[in-house]
Amino acid sequence: MNPSAPIQLVFRNIHKPNSHTLPVYLEGGGYKAVTKALARTPEEVIEEVKRSGIRGRGGAGFPAGIKWSFIPRTSAKPKYLVCNADEGEPGTCKDRDILRYDPHLLIEGMIIAAFAVGAERGYIYVRGEFFLESQRVEAAIKEAYAKGYLGENIFGKGVRFDLAVHLGAGAYVCGEETALIESLEGKKGQPRVKPPFPANVGLWGGPTVINNVETLANIPNILDRGGAWYAKLGVEKSSGTKIFSVSGHCNRPGNYEVEMGISLKDLLEKFAGGVRGGWDNLKGVIPGGSSSPILARAACETVTMDYDSIARAGSMLGSGAVIVIDKSVCVVRAIARISRFYRHESCGQCTPCREGTGWLAQILTRLEAGGGRPGDIELLEELCGNISGKTICALGDAAAMPVAGAIRAFREEFVYHVEHGRCMVE
Amino acid sequence: MWSMADVWWNRSQLIKMPTLIIDGREISVKPGATIMEAARLLGIKIPHFCYHPGLSVAGNCRMCMVEVEKMPKPVISCAMPVNEGMVVRTNSEMVQKARRGVMEFLLINHPLDCPVCDQGGECKLQDYALKYGPDQSRFQDKKRRVANHDLGPVIETEMNRCIHCTRCIRFSTEVAGVEEMGAVFRGDHMKVVPRLGQRPLSSELAGNMAEICPVGALNLKPFHFRARGWELHRAQGICPHCAVGCHVRVDHRQNSIYRIKTRKCPSINGEWLCDKGRFAYEGMVVGRLQVPMMVLEPGEGLVEVSWSQALDRVSEIIKGVKPEEVAGLAGAWGLGAEELYAFQDFLRQVVGTSHLDYRLSQKDFSADDIPLARSDLMLNTPLEAMEKADCIFLVGADPRFEMPLLNVRLRKASLDGASVWSLGTRHLLANLENLEETIVSPGEEVDFLRKVLSAMTTKRGSKAALAVGNALRKAERPVVLLGRSAVNHAQAETLRRLVVAILGKAEAVAAGWNGYNRMVAEANAAAAEDMGVVPHRGPGYRVVDRMGMNAGEILAGGKIKVLFLLGVDLENDSRVAAAIQAGTRVIFMGAFASSVAEKAQVVLPGLVHGEKSGTLTNGEGRVQRNDRVVNGPLTAKEDWRILRALSQRFARVLPYDDLKGLREAMGRADGRYDPAVVDSEKVSMACDHGAGVTQGLDPGSEAKSGVKDVGEPEMVWEPSFYRETPVTRGSPTLSRLHGGGDKGGRG
Repeated sequence: MNPSAPIQLVFRNIHKPNSHTLPVYLEGGGYKAVTKALARTPEEVIEEVKRSGIRGRGGAGFPAGIKWSFIPRTSAKPKYLVCNADEGEPGTCKDRDILRYDPHLLIEGMIIAAFAVGAERGYIYVRGEFFLESQRVEAAIKEAYAKGYLGENIFGKGVRFDLAVHLGAGAYVCGEETALIESLEGKKGQPRVKPPFPANVGLWGGPTVINNVETLANIPNILDRGGAWYAKLGVEKSSGTKIFSVSGHCNRPGNYEVEMGISLKDLLEKFAGGVRGGWDNLKGVIPGGSSSPILARAACETVTMDYDSIARAGSMLGSGAVIVIDKSVCVVRAIARISRFYRHESCGQCTPCREGTGWLAQILTRLEAGGGRPGDIELLEELCGNISGKTICALGDAAAMPVAGAIRAFREEFVYHVEHGRCMVE
Repeated sequence: MWSMADVWWNRSQLIKMPTLIIDGREISVKPGATIMEAARLLGIKIPHFCYHPGLSVAGNCRMCMVEVEKMPKPVISCAMPVNEGMVVRTNSEMVQKARRGVMEFLLINHPLDCPVCDQGGECKLQDYALKYGPDQSRFQDKKRRVANHDLGPVIETEMNRCIHCTRCIRFSTEVAGVEEMGAVFRGDHMKVVPRLGQRPLSSELAGNMAEICPVGALNLKPFHFRARGWELHRAQGICPHCAVGCHVRVDHRQNSIYRIKTRKCPSINGEWLCDKGRFAYEGMVVGRLQVPMMVLEPGEGLVEVSWSQALDRVSEIIKGVKPEEVAGLAGAWGLGAEELYAFQDFLRQVVGTSHLDYRLSQKDFSADDIPLARSDLMLNTPLEAMEKADCIFLVGADPRFEMPLLNVRLRKASLDGASVWSLGTRHLLANLENLEETIVSPGEEVDFLRKVLSAMTTKRGSKAALAVGNALRKAERPVVLLGRSAVNHAQAETLRRLVVAILGKAEAVAAGWNGYNRMVAEANAAAAEDMGVVPHRGPGYRVVDRMGMNAGEILAGGKIKVLFLLGVDLENDSRVAAAIQAGTRVIFMGAFASSVAEKAQVVLPGLVHGEKSGTLTNGEGRVQRNDRVVNGPLTAKEDWRILRALSQRFARVLPYDDLKGLREAMGRADGRYDPAVVDSEKVSMACDHGAGVTQGLDPGSEAKSGVKDVGEPEMVWEPSFYRETPVTRGSPTLSRLHGGGDKGGRG
C-alpha cells in the first residue's frame, strides 16, 4: 500500500497473514468496539453513527444512521439485519476483499448494527460467484459462535443475534435491496414496489435494515473511536474513508482506501500508478461503477472523490469503482458493451426497463457495427429520458445514465459513427 | 339489512380519513387507499394494464403514472398510498409524456397484429395506443418472438402479444390457488409460461385469465376467431349452473350465444366466473327435445304428435288414476322459480295430489316434520363476508366443486390466516391454505361431530376433535358449511343439528355474525324450497294440511301410478327404471332427451335458461332474474305455459295466463318474489343474513334422546363437476375439460 495513505480503517488488517482468522483479528483490537457498543443503549449507538455522518457505501449514499433510525423500536414482526454482499456493479471489487480478508470486521459491524436496530437475526447475502468469500465468512461466523459473539446471549449481555450466509445465484439486480429480499425469501429476484420501504416491510414482512459490506465494516471503527472523530475524516457531507476500486487503463489497478475528497487525479497518479501512457493519454473516467456517467478528461482534472463534487460534475460516486479509459477506447463500443450488460441484467418486471434496456442495447450495438441511422442519437437520448425515473427500481436509471452521459460527453464520436459507419478511434 | 361492509365502515370512521385533491377535485378516502382507488371513486379513469381490483398490486406496467406535487418523479397511482393534502394530476404534460413513453416501449415488441387478434376492439393496448401511442414506430430492430403454449381447451395463446403485466400469474397464484402460470428469464427475454410445462390448465377458474388479459395473449379457445366483440349484443344474465348465481354478461348474435363473460358483483361473484358457468351454454343446443311426443300404442316407441294431442293424453293419464296416485318430481337446476311455482300449483290445485319433491338425491327427510326455517336451509354468512372468516369448518362439503365462487372467498379467508377444517369421506382437491382434513368412513360423520361437540363441552376428546372444537371456540368469525354430502347424507338432519349445537358452543350465531351455512345441493334449489316444491310445505313456507310423500318415498315405488317429471336428470338413478318396470307411467317434461324420457308415455319439450325469462334464487336466498337471450326450439315451450295449457283440460285452471300474472301470484305466495321488488333491485337482498338464529333441537336433549338415524349410509354416484347436468354434458369444452385428466379432480 502506498505510504502516503495516512489512514486505513476498513483495510487495517488485510495485509496481515491469515487476516481472516479470529486470532489475527483479535490481535488487532477486534471485537473491542462491539463491547463498547453493547455497554450503551441502542439509541446512543444510532446517535454515534449519525454523528459520524457515514453514508451508505453501496452506491446510493444514504446516511446509515438515519436509515437505522427509521426502524420502528417495537414491531409485531421480527426485525432483520441484512448485509448486502451481492457486489455486482461492474468495476467494483472492494466488498470482496473485506469478505475474504477481514470477515470478522463485517461480523463485528453487523453485531453492532443489529443491537442498534434491535434485530435478532441477520443474513449476509453473498454474490453467487464469491465462493471462497462465502466460505471464509461462514468459517468466521463459526468462530464467532464458538466464542459466544453470536448466538443467544452474545458477550454475556443477554442480547441475541444469529447470523447466516446466503449465496445468491448470479443476478445483478439482487444487489437492489428489495430484489435481494425477494431472493432471500426464495423467490425470483425482482425488486418490490416502494413504498412500503424495507424499514417498515422488509424480509418476511418484518422491518429490515440492509447495509453494504463496506458500510458495516466501518461501524466498529466509528464505535471505537467515536462518530465525531470519524466525521472529521474526509470532507463535509462525505465523511470518512472510502475504498476505490480502480481498474482499466492505469498502471496499478487495485483497491485503495483513502479519505473522501481526494482529487481524482491524485487517486490515479499517487495511488493507482498513473494512467497508461501518461495523464495526457486519458480519455475519461467512469467514477462510480458502470452505472455512473463517464467523465470526460476536462472534468477529471478538477473533480474530487466525494459525493457532492462528482454529482456537480454530472456523474455519481456510486460504489466507488473508478474505471480509467484511455484514448485507445471507442466510447460507443464501451457504452454498447455496458448497455448489453444492463439488457442482460434487467429483471424484466417493469415495462420501461424491460423493453428500454433491450432497445438501447440493440441501437448501440447496431451503431457500433456501423448500422447507425440519422436520428439514432436523438432517439437514444429520448429513450434514456423515458426510462429514467419511471421504473420500479434504480436499474432502469443505471442503464440509461451511462448512455445519456456518454452522449453528453462524447457526442462527436457517436455522430462520427452514424455518419461514417465506423469508429473515429480504431 | 345487516352487512359486513357496514361493520368495517363504522370501524374505519374512527380513523381520520386523508383528504387529497385529484385533478382539482377533493376527496376523502380510507387510510391506506391508493391514488388509483381514490381516482376511481371520483370516476377519474387512469390508464393501466397490470392493476386489477381483484388482484394484488404489481406496479410493473408503469402506465398508471401520475404527477404528484412535491414529488420529483411521476409515481404509479396503483401502488402509491394517499396522503393528507396530496395534489395529484392525472393528465398533465408530464403524465402524458410518461404514458407515451410506456406505450412506445410496450409496442416495440408487440406484433401489432390487431386485424387477426381476438382481442381487437376490446383491447386495452389498442385503446391506449390510439390515445398515447405513436402513429409510426421508431423501432427498427429485431422484435422478440416467443413460442405459444398449449394450455388446454379453455385458453388459446399468442404469447408474442404478451406485455408481461403478470395478471394471469397473480390470478392463478392468488385467486385460483393453482400456481400454473409463471414468468421465466429476465429482461426482454422474460416469458410468461405455464408453470408445469406444456400441460392443460387444471384450475376451474382458468377462463378468467383470458378475461383479465389486457391484450390478446390469452384468449378463450372456444371463442377463437368466431366473432368481433363489437358485433355481439350484450345481455345481462345470472349463471344458472350452481347455487352461487354469478352475475354474467351474455354476448349473443343471431339467436346464438357466443360467449359468457363475468359481470362484476361484489356481493356475489366479485370479479370472477368459473369455467362451468362460462362454457355450459354450449350444451344448450345439444340433445334437445324438439317436439311433443307420446306413445300411441302400448309397447311401441314415442312418436311425434301435436301439442294438443300430447296434452290431451297427459290429462287422460292423470285422470285415469286417483289424485293421490300421481306424484311430481322436479329437477331444480334447470328451472326457474316460475316453473317450480306453476308445477306445485298444478299438482296441488289442479290434480289434487300432495306428493311432490325436488330433493331427488336426499335420503334423510326427517326434518320435514319440524319443519325447518328458510335460514336453516341456506347460507347465512354473506358470500362477501366469508372472506373475513377466521375459522372454516367444512362438513361434507367440497366448496371448490360445489360452489366455486364461494370457494374463492374461502380461499381468500384462508390466505388471510383462517384455519380450515374438513370432515368428509374423501380427500378434497382443495386450494385452501391451512386445511386439516378428517377423513372418516361413510356413516361415521355423525360420530365425529358428536366428538367435536363433546370436546367443546368437556375439553376432552380425540386430538382431531379437540383441534376443531378449540379452533371454533376461539374463532370470532367462524364459518361452518354443510355441503352436498352432508345434505344428501342418510343422517343429514342429525349432522345438521349437531352443527347447530357446535355453533351454539362456538357462539357463532351472534349479533353481527352468523356462521351457519347449508349449501343447497343444486342450482336453484333455494327457489324450489321457496316455491314449495316439497311435500311438507307450500310456497312461501306455508304449512300444508296434508303432508305428501317425499322424493324417497315416491321413488321407492308401490303407491304411485303416474310420475310427472319436470326437468329431472335421473339418468343414473335405478329407482326410476325400477318404477317404470313395475308399471308406473311417466310424463316427462323437460328440455333434454334422456333414457328416462325415452321410457315416458308423453314427452313435453321445455326450454332452458337463456331461452326463457326465469327467476333464480341463489344459495344465500337472493332472488334474481335471468332474461331470455335466444330462442329455443320452435315447438318447445316454457314449462309453465305447458302446465297452464294442461290445466285447461282439468276442472280447475291455473289462474294466470302470462308471465306477469304468474309472477304476481308468486309474489303473493312469497313476498321475496314480488315482481316489483325483484325487478327494481340491482342485487337482490332477499337473503336471510339478518335472521341471526338457526332453528334446531336443543343440543342437550338431542344428545340424550338422539334423533333416529335414518337408513344405512351408502356410496352415492358422485357426478363430475363438468358433467353434472345435461346442459354441461352437452358442452364440448366442458367435455374436454372433463377428459383432461385431473380436471376438477373427478374425471
